[in-house]
Amino acid sequence: MVKKKEKDKEPSETTDAHSDKPEPTDTDLANTLTKEELRKFYEEKGIDLSLDIPIHPKPIPQFEKSVSDKIASKFGSKVNVDYVRPNRIRMSTKREDILDVAYFIRDELGYDHAESVAGVDYPDSKEIEIVYHLGSYTDEQKESQILSLATRVPREDIPHPGKDRSRTPTLRDVFYSVEFHERECFEMFGVYFEGHPDNRRLLLPEDWADIPPFRKDFKIKGR
Amino acid sequence: MSTIAPEFRLSRFIASLVDIIFWILLIFTIVGLPIVFIMLFYIKLPVINGQLLTPYLALTWLADPSRTIPIIKSFIHSTFFRVAVFPGFGFAALLAAATIFVERKFLAKMQLRVGPLYCGKIEGILQLMGDGLKLMSKEIIIPAKADKPIFWIGPLLFVGTAGAFVSLIPVAPGWVVANPNVGLLAVFATIGFFPIIVVLSAWAANSKWTFIGGLRALHQMISFEIPLILSLLSIVILSGTLNLSQIVESQKHYWWIVFTPISAIVFFITIIAELERIPFDLPEAESEIVAGWLTEFSGMMYGLIQLGTYLKLYAFAGLFTVLFLGGWNGPMVWPPFPTDIITNGITIGPITAKFPGLPLFDQEMLNGTLWFVIKTVGVILVILLPRGVFPRIRIDMLLHTGWYKWIGLAFVNIFIALGLLYAGVLGPGGLIQ
Amino acid sequence: MTTPLPPGIELEKIDERIMTLNVGPQHPGSGHMRLIIKVDGDYIVSCDPDPGYVHRGEEKMAEYRNYIQNIPHLERPVIHDSSNILYPYCLAVEELLDIEVPERAKYVRVIASELNRCIYTLYWLAIYGIFLGHSTMFMWPAGDRELFIDLLEAMSGARVTHAFLVPGGVRNDLPANFEERCLRQVNYFEKRLKEYEAIFYQNPLLIARTAGTGILSRTDAIRLGTTGSVLRASGVDFDVRKKEPYDVYENLDFETVVMKEGDSYARSRVPYLEMFESCRIIKDALQKMPKSGSVRTKLKPNPKGGNDEVYRRVESGRGALGYYIVSNNRPEPYRVKISVGSFRNLICIPYLLKGEKLGNMPAVYWSLNYWPVEADR
Repeated sequence: MVKKKEKDKEPSETTDAHSDKPEPTDTDLANTLTKEELRKFYEEKGIDLSLDIPIHPKPIPQFEKSVSDKIASKFGSKVNVDYVRPNRIRMSTKREDILDVAYFIRDELGYDHAESVAGVDYPDSKEIEIVYHLGSYTDEQKESQILSLATRVPREDIPHPGKDRSRTPTLRDVFYSVEFHERECFEMFGVYFEGHPDNRRLLLPEDWADIPPFRKDFKIKGR
Repeated sequence: MSTIAPEFRLSRFIASLVDIIFWILLIFTIVGLPIVFIMLFYIKLPVINGQLLTPYLALTWLADPSRTIPIIKSFIHSTFFRVAVFPGFGFAALLAAATIFVERKFLAKMQLRVGPLYCGKIEGILQLMGDGLKLMSKEIIIPAKADKPIFWIGPLLFVGTAGAFVSLIPVAPGWVVANPNVGLLAVFATIGFFPIIVVLSAWAANSKWTFIGGLRALHQMISFEIPLILSLLSIVILSGTLNLSQIVESQKHYWWIVFTPISAIVFFITIIAELERIPFDLPEAESEIVAGWLTEFSGMMYGLIQLGTYLKLYAFAGLFTVLFLGGWNGPMVWPPFPTDIITNGITIGPITAKFPGLPLFDQEMLNGTLWFVIKTVGVILVILLPRGVFPRIRIDMLLHTGWYKWIGLAFVNIFIALGLLYAGVLGPGGLIQ
Repeated sequence: MTTPLPPGIELEKIDERIMTLNVGPQHPGSGHMRLIIKVDGDYIVSCDPDPGYVHRGEEKMAEYRNYIQNIPHLERPVIHDSSNILYPYCLAVEELLDIEVPERAKYVRVIASELNRCIYTLYWLAIYGIFLGHSTMFMWPAGDRELFIDLLEAMSGARVTHAFLVPGGVRNDLPANFEERCLRQVNYFEKRLKEYEAIFYQNPLLIARTAGTGILSRTDAIRLGTTGSVLRASGVDFDVRKKEPYDVYENLDFETVVMKEGDSYARSRVPYLEMFESCRIIKDALQKMPKSGSVRTKLKPNPKGGNDEVYRRVESGRGALGYYIVSNNRPEPYRVKISVGSFRNLICIPYLLKGEKLGNMPAVYWSLNYWPVEADR
């Protein structure tokens, strides 16, 4: 009744997936040493150091790089690879292209579900970013991977959810699992998902009459 | 520091006293005197020691303890006592209350809890009383669009029907409220009222949950009444009578459960379903339909339904005892009443008091009651046991077992009983009698 | 804004046999949410979950507090699993602030999180028991929970909301003699778990009621993006602890529980079997843990994250639990998004309940390992 996982299977996979993980080398050790020294030096001077210490660039892992290269070679300048880190890839695209990219990611790369859909509000650049965190259950190598697919939609100062320019095509037809996440994103940020079958309120009360609450200009009282 | 009220007037005080006396006299003449006359002219009073007992005589005899006992005895043999106290309502309610207490502690021990603990000092023995007081003091809320007369009368009908059922159960030889010759048919008729009451009150409450619960209760009770009736037919065949007291007497040597175990099992399961107890508590399934047909009842209306449910539990367990476990039959364990007291009376120092009319209850009756109570309590405990063990089942599974399996099984024992009858082993004029 | 008709309203217009039931929020079988259920006779023709009754805007609150102040309120969405909901937050903040965690702290965190997973699962199991009308199964896990609550109280000082895991390690070291006590209670608990099997999981009525109801196939489980026990009950071998090991899970000896049936029974059994694995992990971690050493890397006051973002996830009692933190050189995070297992499994409720009998509603609904408060955040 209970299928337990074969034990011998597990270590070989992980070594396969993480074979390209950097071993601590001499340069890394030297880097940390200098970092410590720097920290001491700055602390003696009493300077805030979190910004000043340069974050040492970590070596780019091979497997993740190969995945991002596939997308980059397919779409070229349409997709911008923001970063490639161990187990994490992030890329951003324009909202016009997101459906194509998503179909490619699902069909060719084997990412089959969305873990979350996060909205991030950037009032300064008048944009709202929608980040899809995609994962895979079927591809053994990609089970540890999270691919973040980001797109930006214009932001209105006086939002009118559903009727203003803040809209983007829905990915529900590509990843069925985004349905409730997109509904949440719609009510919290006012981003309308075109083609979503059920653009209703989810968490907020029915009589909510304020601006979408997760925008930056919605202030919590007393803060 | 108390002072006389500043508004005090002696004249008004006297006037109020006169007022009170006037009202007392008025009520006595309007209500009290007619009652006395009704008692004198219409109520048949017992004849004790060759004298007709009038209310006035009864008052004089109250002064003499030796004359008191015959009066009590005559009261005990009156119909009112049977209905209200001993084999009827009071006895059943007491047994039901004891059952609730035992159920709570029993279930608590099963589930690694302590159960009621504080109310009444000793193991929470007064918890039920506290619950009753709480229910009585609670507000009764009627849903706005309910059919009020039917909604009000529902709990009363439920308790009334349960009481009618209780009145048919013989407890000891000769001790039964109603002893019709068609006792078992009367039982079936009484049981048949429950689904109607449930549906009426569920529909009258005008709520979706009560509606679903009422429909479930209706389906469940009807589908389980048929195997219930069928399972009892074998008893009727074997004993050759429908009178419950005669059925008990027919089991003097062998309990019918020996010959009809399948019927007993079917009957036992159907009574669990009729009582809406876990695993068949679908009409009150909490997590599905709030409280089923009880959802809108509040305060003492709910209390009455609970009372009715526990009376019903007692009645069904009693019926099981009467039909399968030999009722009051059992070895004589009750000590006989000491003859000394009857012949010589009680000597306390210089005084010797004689009590004519003792004993109040004969030995047969006490012994029968003891056995009946032991068996009934045992059956009740077995009915309660599944509550700690089983989850609730689904309505379709319940109906399926009701209509297909239990009806079929109930027939099996009818054929066995017929076979035993025609082979001449059992029944009137059989080998074993 | 055009308000589209809620699903099911059109059904009610077509057929007057269809009745709408509001299951919740004041229904004993709903939790803090509402299920708008349309029934045709005894069959559910449509189900529309309506969460949000306990939405507290944790993500918004997190934008106003710094990384340390965020600790206690972020565990509120699911106080019964408070270590696991803080775990990814700590991992994310550590990655963001570039903090190394002492070795002993990693083991202590694993022990705390596994103990908490058991507490959560027992609570869930207790409610599953009473949802099916099995009152003994309500009382037993609720009582046995105390074993682990006591252990975590000894560790952290709080019975339910521990706030024990902090970025940089754990708040304080284990108390004296903790190892022996923990081992003793875990061993006793394993004995109790076997009794659950006898009274609940092998109960013929339970099997008859839950087996074969609410079947979620492997393909659908993947397509709907379910997680946790729901996913594993459908035959997908996915556990973040195995697939993306955090802290010291790669050194520990345990197995992923996978069942193939995908019905309510399998979904209710997987968390139960995982409690055995949790006990195994705890015992193993107690053995492999460094016996002494620091348990916390002190952060400097008011730490600031760089201009960066990070997504970290762990396996909680309800599945993968991820934190997406965007920071912009400020002591407060710019945006915190909590991706919780309950919210991801929410999509299964309308999917699975459609076509089921009304009597199966609690059995299917609660088998999804769904915690309404966590889903609302």
